[in-house]
Amino acid sequence: MEITHEIWKRHFPAENSGAHLFPEFEMRAKAVSGEVFRVPAAAEAREALIRLVDAVQARKAVVVESPLQEAAGITAALRSRGVTVYTEAADIAAHADTADIGISGVEFGIAETGSVFQDGYDIATRLVTILPPLHVVFLQSAHIVPGITEAFDIISQSFDRGYVGFITGPSRTADIERVLTIGVHGPSRFAIIAVDEEPKGGDA
Amino acid sequence: METEMRNLRKEISEKLKDETLRDALGRFSEAYPIARAKAYENAGDIETLRDALRQMKIDTVERIEEVADRFEAEATKRGVKVFRAKTGNDVKEYLVNLCKEKGVKRIVKSKSMASEEIDLSKHLETAGISTTETDLGEWIVALAGQKPSHMVMPAIHLSRFQVAEYFSKELKTVIPPDIAFMVQAARTELREKFLQADMGISGANFGIAENGAIGIVTNEGNARMVTTLPRIHVVIIGYEKLIPTIKDAATILKVLPRSATAQLMTSYMTMIAGPTPAMVKRDGKWVEEEKEMHIILLDNGRLKAAHDDKFKEIFQCVRCASCLNVCPVYTLIGGHVYGGHTYAGGIGAILTAFLSGMGEFEQFQELCIGCRRCTTVCPGKIDIPGLIEELRIRNVKEKGLPFLLKQTFENVVSNRKLFHGLLRLAAIGQKPFQSGRLIRHLPLFLAGMAKDRSLPAIADTPLRNRIGKITKKIDKPDKRIVFFSGCTIDFVFPETGESVFKVLQDLNMEVLFPEGQSCCGKPVIALGDVETTKKLAKENIRALEEQNPDVIIVACPTCTESLQQYAELLKDDPEWGPKAETMAKKVREFCSFVAEEYGKRGRLTKTGGGPKVTYHDSCHMKRVLMIDKEPRQLLEAAGCELIEMKDADKCCGMSGIFGVKYAELSMPILEQKINNIRDTGAEIAACACSGCMVQIQGGLDKQLPGVRMKHVADILAEKIKE
Repeated sequence: MEITHEIWKRHFPAENSGAHLFPEFEMRAKAVSGEVFRVPAAAEAREALIRLVDAVQARKAVVVESPLQEAAGITAALRSRGVTVYTEAADIAAHADTADIGISGVEFGIAETGSVFQDGYDIATRLVTILPPLHVVFLQSAHIVPGITEAFDIISQSFDRGYVGFITGPSRTADIERVLTIGVHGPSRFAIIAVDEEPKGGDA
Repeated sequence: METEMRNLRKEISEKLKDETLRDALGRFSEAYPIARAKAYENAGDIETLRDALRQMKIDTVERIEEVADRFEAEATKRGVKVFRAKTGNDVKEYLVNLCKEKGVKRIVKSKSMASEEIDLSKHLETAGISTTETDLGEWIVALAGQKPSHMVMPAIHLSRFQVAEYFSKELKTVIPPDIAFMVQAARTELREKFLQADMGISGANFGIAENGAIGIVTNEGNARMVTTLPRIHVVIIGYEKLIPTIKDAATILKVLPRSATAQLMTSYMTMIAGPTPAMVKRDGKWVEEEKEMHIILLDNGRLKAAHDDKFKEIFQCVRCASCLNVCPVYTLIGGHVYGGHTYAGGIGAILTAFLSGMGEFEQFQELCIGCRRCTTVCPGKIDIPGLIEELRIRNVKEKGLPFLLKQTFENVVSNRKLFHGLLRLAAIGQKPFQSGRLIRHLPLFLAGMAKDRSLPAIADTPLRNRIGKITKKIDKPDKRIVFFSGCTIDFVFPETGESVFKVLQDLNMEVLFPEGQSCCGKPVIALGDVETTKKLAKENIRALEEQNPDVIIVACPTCTESLQQYAELLKDDPEWGPKAETMAKKVREFCSFVAEEYGKRGRLTKTGGGPKVTYHDSCHMKRVLMIDKEPRQLLEAAGCELIEMKDADKCCGMSGIFGVKYAELSMPILEQKINNIRDTGAEIAACACSGCMVQIQGGLDKQLPGVRMKHVADILAEKIKE
């Protein structure tokens, strides 16, 4: 079985998508309390993450690797800051609930809504995205489609089975007196680190 | 299902006193239309999106069995166990057995209206299985021992103070009424439940036949927990949620978050096709195992609707609840009163009829006032008021009318001479005493003076007795017109009838008033009595057509609509069907006709110099006849300075019999209208519907006596020199 994560790029449209849509994507993501950090390359991506880690004084991180993270040496950088990092599924299952930060890679963004699309077939991915209070994702800046319709052009060709979805800002509720409150069951902070440079080897 | 008899009037009066509810719903109904419009700003043409959703759903319901078979096959192929449940009991039995077999002790649930519908949680608890709602609103409502009052915002009727009380009781510690604090408290409490649960039960916003996937939209992230953490995942999904292809999900997602919560997208949109890995603790160690996934496809009355020529339309509902958010009645009293067991508002009435039975439907269906505001926002373009009217008709066919109403309709309204005779008697009877015996039994003029509104007096001389005096001899008329006045203009506002004559005669048209015309039938069909309506229709067709008119003019949108609907009403009648159709083609609403004629004569230009006027769009004028520009053009042509009021097209609260029977509920709606009129500073409130005139004039008389109510025809007539 081919899961979405492995094949979606074959169906990513060559036209009418790309980094020129990033400003709209960024505006929409920020409008729903998402944090967006666009950086030119791996080194700056690493710095952006470290700033976040320092800001929340993270001691424990659960991480699912992605090519952008590997290129930036994220896991090593965290460990050198004294953060305990778990990357194996069994460790993530044991520690995601008490981790300060969860880190994962996403496939592409949607300008219309400020959402990111992620294949969560991998159980570890789902745990890091939903349990810790801060979720940081890595995204290739050029991987932006204009809207929901175009996103589904890709999904309809690459989602046969598994667990996929959009994440749009942090967890929220308005169930008490319609007052918007951030961070009910999922993360209260959601940060996107978008990297312009493609990781070596090409396949993010 | 046994239905408990409800005392709707009592429930209404209690809710109208509930300040928390009134305040919450009032603020929400103000904010929602603005937020919704903003959410659609970058979505492209909204009508195109609505049409696309509607068409996709129509195509699906036409072949629902085939779509369901494919959905089942594809899900099964991917390792899901699919169970088709005919009733709620089937679901309960399946789940209790599954829990026993798998040793399930604790369940976490994310939102599922289908499970509310069948009282699933209560049943599981009784079977000794701990079941926790994890959607914050659902959890609050469950702690309160209540039902959701809104499909999207279950606890909208509760204040932070009430929530704090329920939380304090549940968590056995004092919880302050601070919203952020309470949300954190809920997070902590429910997080434990997620981590300990053996089974997760979720609903679904759609199910995709192409790959057997289900899709869920949530904001809190609880559905991701419910579908990720426990080792077993059970989905409960109704047939109406099925869609053929993955791409069809985009059609729903373009509109659902925007219409439901005015979001471009919810925080989480999740699609699951087949079981995925889960982490399970075995001998103290976390190991990865394939999850067990079950999908329960629930019928419970849905397939009957799918095969019903009219009611298959309910498959177009995506449960966004936008119809509730704009409903003048829902936004006053909420879903506990205007609702059935599970589903609220007009759409709730229809769903209730199919999912819980007619007995329950019957008890609150009257609260739909047919203003059609919901039809302008429903993303699936469901004709909610039309379906409710159809249900009323079926209910009457099956059970008959309540005795008194039956007597009134069959013996009085359908007998024109008696009906009109009684109206005349009422004119005498109402003074010097406000005597009700005769009036009370008439549909439009049910007695019951309300404190915030004067009820109209029956005129001394009805229009039909003034015809000789007001008819001008036209030598070479441009058109031969028959005027259908309707009861209200005839007996309450005969001066408006005179204005109609004057305006049309001024256009060099011959105007006739056939004596044999009777009630248009709207108050009768609105309560579901088709047979009496047919009788009235035939009587009117005969009376109007024997004058051989070029045009039939009606100065009331509701009567206009009724006359035009005779063709549909009598379509199976070989003699009257064709006659009704011929007649319908001649029927014209007064304003649109006069505007057209003024236009031809170069008289439809803004003149100025006249009084300040604000115009009220009657519901049926704007949303059935689609006429809103012409009356405004006419007012400006008559020199009026037109000042738009807020919510000009929101119902005034009259709606035929509703305004009298549920006077308490009608009054706050009227009050909003009067306030909006007051804010314009206009001297005159104009409209083109005699029903709205009854209501608004009554309200102005008591609350804003300086402002006069006039029909557009009256204002035009005043400009014509004798």
